[in-house]
Amino acid sequence: MTDANADFVTIALMPSGRRGQVRRGTNLLEAARQLGVELESICAGRQTCGKCQVAVEAGQFPKHGLTSSADHLTPPDGREAKYQHEHMLAAGRRLACACEVTGDLLLLVPEESQARKQIIAKAATDRAIDVQPAVRQVYVEVEPATLEGHSGDWERLEQALAAQHGLRGLTPDALALAQLQPALAQGRHAVTVSVWQDREVLRLQPGYCEGAYGLAVDVGSTTIVAHLCDLRTGAVKATEASMNPQVRFGEDLMSRVSYVMMHPDGTEKMHRAVIATLNDLARKAAARAGISVDDVLDVVLVGNPVMHHLLLGLSPVELGGTPFALALSSALDLKARDLGLKLNGCARVHVLPCIAGHVGADNVAVQLAEAPQHQDDLMLIVDVGTNAEIVLGDRTQVLCCSSPTGPAFEGAQITHGQRAAPGAIERVRIDPVTLEPRFKIIGQAEWVEPGQAGAPSATGICGSGIIEVIVELFLAGVIDQAGRFSEAAAARSPRVRFPTRTGEYVLADGAQTASGAPIVVNQNDVRAIQLGKAALYAGVKLLLQARGVSAVDRIVLAGAFGSYIDPRYAMLLGLIPDCDLAKVTAVGNAAGDGARIALLNRAARLEAARLARAAVHVQTAVAANFQAEFVSALALPHASDPFPHLAGQLPEPAAGAAGGRRSQRRRAAPAQAA
Amino acid sequence: MSDDLTQIPTDELIQIIQDDLYDGLVDGVEAGTHELLRRGLTPYDVMTQALVGGMDIVGVDFRDGILFVPEVLMAAKAMKAGMEILRPLLAQTGAQQIGTMIVGTVKGDIHDIGKNLVAMMMEGAGFKVVNLGINCDADKFLAAYQEHQPEIVGLSALLTTTMPYMDVVIKRFKEEGLRDKVIFLVGGAPLNAAFAEEIEADAYCRDAAVAVETAKKLIAIKRGVK
Repeated sequence: MTDANADFVTIALMPSGRRGQVRRGTNLLEAARQLGVELESICAGRQTCGKCQVAVEAGQFPKHGLTSSADHLTPPDGREAKYQHEHMLAAGRRLACACEVTGDLLLLVPEESQARKQIIAKAATDRAIDVQPAVRQVYVEVEPATLEGHSGDWERLEQALAAQHGLRGLTPDALALAQLQPALAQGRHAVTVSVWQDREVLRLQPGYCEGAYGLAVDVGSTTIVAHLCDLRTGAVKATEASMNPQVRFGEDLMSRVSYVMMHPDGTEKMHRAVIATLNDLARKAAARAGISVDDVLDVVLVGNPVMHHLLLGLSPVELGGTPFALALSSALDLKARDLGLKLNGCARVHVLPCIAGHVGADNVAVQLAEAPQHQDDLMLIVDVGTNAEIVLGDRTQVLCCSSPTGPAFEGAQITHGQRAAPGAIERVRIDPVTLEPRFKIIGQAEWVEPGQAGAPSATGICGSGIIEVIVELFLAGVIDQAGRFSEAAAARSPRVRFPTRTGEYVLADGAQTASGAPIVVNQNDVRAIQLGKAALYAGVKLLLQARGVSAVDRIVLAGAFGSYIDPRYAMLLGLIPDCDLAKVTAVGNAAGDGARIALLNRAARLEAARLARAAVHVQTAVAANFQAEFVSALALPHASDPFPHLAGQLPEPAAGAAGGRRSQRRRAAPAQAA
Repeated sequence: MSDDLTQIPTDELIQIIQDDLYDGLVDGVEAGTHELLRRGLTPYDVMTQALVGGMDIVGVDFRDGILFVPEVLMAAKAMKAGMEILRPLLAQTGAQQIGTMIVGTVKGDIHDIGKNLVAMMMEGAGFKVVNLGINCDADKFLAAYQEHQPEIVGLSALLTTTMPYMDVVIKRFKEEGLRDKVIFLVGGAPLNAAFAEEIEADAYCRDAAVAVETAKKLIAIKRGVK
C-alpha cells in the first residue's frame, strides 16, 4: 500500500483500533489526532508534560497491512532525550509531540495517555443469586490447652468446629496453620475460621471477625472485568476493569497463539502479564471497597479457551489449529498463590470448565447466568465478538457452537471503524426521502442533526453505528438486498457517490469530524459486515437444524457489544433470526455475571460442570451445509428465510431481481488488468 | 431466453450468453451453448468467447466489489452447466487446457469457503481444478502434484496460526526439487504480500478474482520463458 503512495504512511493505534494514512513527516501527536485519537497533552507539544507517551510495537501486523518498527519515528531530539533522562521514561516510550512519522507504525497508547478513556460497559447487573459461597467464616470457641491434655491446638479446634458447626475432617492450609496459636492467644481461645468448601481452613483470625471477600473475573481478550463481592451478603463492593495487557502481543486470539508459536517464552510472558493485571485490579477494587487484599479469599475465573490457557500458564498452541484440542476442559480448584495472585496467601481459585476449543469457560458462565437449561422457551444466546459464541437450548437440551464473525463488529476492517469509545458514531437514522442522516456520538447527549457543524466531532463509527447505518441505507433503498450500492440512489442525494465503480455514503461531513475529513461508509464496509453477520447467522441455523426446529422463542444478546445493539436493527440486518422483538433482550456482561454466580454459590460450580458436560457442541466450519447457509445469509436480512416479525418494515425486493442486472452490467466493464 | 435463439446474430448471442452467465441463469447458458454449437462454432470457441468471456466480466466485477459471493457462485454454477455440455466435445477435439491447479486449505485449518470460491472462479476461467479440501498437509499437496502435474498450486489459510504451514509446503516442494515446476499462489484473510514474499510464494492473491488474473499472467510468463 505504501509503495503506491510513497508520501503516506499507515498508522494503527491500539487499543482504539483506529487506523489510517497520514502524510510522511507528520508530527505524531498530530497524526494521532488526524486518525481520531486524542492524546493527553498539557504542555501542547513542548516535551515538558510527558503526557503524550506512546510505545511502538515492532513487528509485522498483517491484519493492519503494515510492518512497524521503532525507527519509523525520527530519533529523540535533545529536548526529548533530556525528558527521557530526567523522568526515567520507560524503555520504548516516546513523546508523541517530539517525533515525526517516517514509516508504517503500530502504536500502543497507554491508558494514561488517552485523552478520552474507553468506555467499558461492564457493571455488574442485578441478578437474584442464592448466596451459598464456597468460602465462609465461622466463629468458634476452643477449649484452652491444659497440662494434662496431650492433644494439639489444631485438634481442639477440630473438636470445636465439629461440636459447634458440624464441620468435620477439615485440613489446614499450611500457611493458615501458622496463624493458629497467635490467633488463639490473641482471641482468648475464640477464633474466626474461614473455611473453603467445608473442607479446608484458609484463615484463622483472633476473636470474632467479619469480612470475607471474593473476586469474580471475566478475562476477555480485550477487556478484563473484576467484581469484588462480599461473600456473606453477596453484595458487589467494587467493579474494576482494564484492557487485557496481552493486546500488545497480538490483538486477536489467533495472533496471540501465533505469538507463542514464534516465541518460546510467549506463554510465560502473556501469563505473567495477565496475572499482573489481575493483581492490579484486585488492589484497586480492594482500595475502592476499603478492604485489604488479605481479606480476599476466593476467586472465580472465566475466559475463552485461549485466555483460560494463558491464565493457567498453559500453552495455547494446540488451540491454534484443528482439532483445537484443549489441555483440559474440566473445572479446576487451585491455590491463588500458585498462579502468582497476590491476595490472601491461602486464597482459593476456581476456574470454570470449558466445552470445546472455541467454546470456553466464559460461555459456560453465560449459560450459568442465563440458565437455558431451566427454560420451557427455546432460548438463543448470542455473544458477539471476533468469534461469536452461540447457545441454543431449553429444559431438554442445550447446544452450542462458535462462528468466526471476524473483527468487523468491533470496527476493524471498516474504513472509518473504531471501537466503542467517546467520539464514535453509535446511532444513525437516515431520512428515506432526502437521505440526510442524523447520528448520535458516544459521550454526547444530543443527536447531531443533518449538516450541523461546530459542536460535536465524530472520530469514527463503532459496531452498533455500522449496523444501524447499513440497515438505514438498506431501508432507504441506497443499498439493495444483495448489499450493493444502487447507482440510482446517487441521483437522489450528493451523499451517495461513486468515486470508483462502487458507491459510498457520506455519513458525517468534514465539518462534523475530528479529522476534518468526511466519515463514509463504502461498499467494502458493507461487504465486511455482510461476511460477519452471515457467519453468525449460519452458526445459528446449524444449531436450529441440529435441534430440528426452525424458530426460537426468545433471543438473548450477551456481551458488551450486545448491550449496544438495537435488537430491531440486529434483526433487520439479519444478524439474528426472526423472533418477537419484545422477546429479544440484551443482558450485558453475562459471562461476568456467571462468574459472580459461581463465586457466591458453590452449587452453581457443580451446575457449571454439569452444563459443560451436557452441552452438545456443534462443529460449524466442517458441517456439510455451512457454506450454503453462509451464502444465503449474506443477503439483507436473508436470501430465503422469512422474517414475519418484521412484516411491513422491509423494503420491497426490486422487481425481477434475477435478470434485472443485465442492463446494469452492460455499462461497459473496464478492461481487465493484464 | 425463451425466445427463438435461432434468429439472433452470433455476436449478439454470445453477448446474451455472457449476460445470462453473469445473472446465473443456467437454462439460458445451456440453451445458448447448444445454439452456438449448432451453428458450427468449435467447442473451444464457445468456451473461450461465451463462457470464459462471461466469467471474465464476473471476475472483474467481483474484484471491484460490485458482485459479491452469492452472485459469483450463481454465475459459476451457470458456467459449470455450459462446461458440462462442452467438456466431452473438448476431450474429443483434444483442445488444450489453459492449465491445471491443485488447491487446498493447509494443515490445521478447516475454513474452506474462500478457497472453494477460488476453485470455482479458476474453473470458470477454463482451468482444470483439483480441490484438495481442508487440513491438507505437505504430503497431500505432493501426492496431488504427482498425480495431476499442475502448473499452479494454491494454498489457503484463514488463521494467523495456520498460515506458517504454507512455508512448510513450499519448503517440501523445494526439497523434492519440484519448487520451480509450479507456481505457488497463496491467499486468506490474515495474509499479505510481504508474507508471500517471505515464504517465497509466487504471489499473494487478495481474492478469487485476483487469483484468476494472477494465475493467467504467471502462466503466460512461464510459458513465454519456455
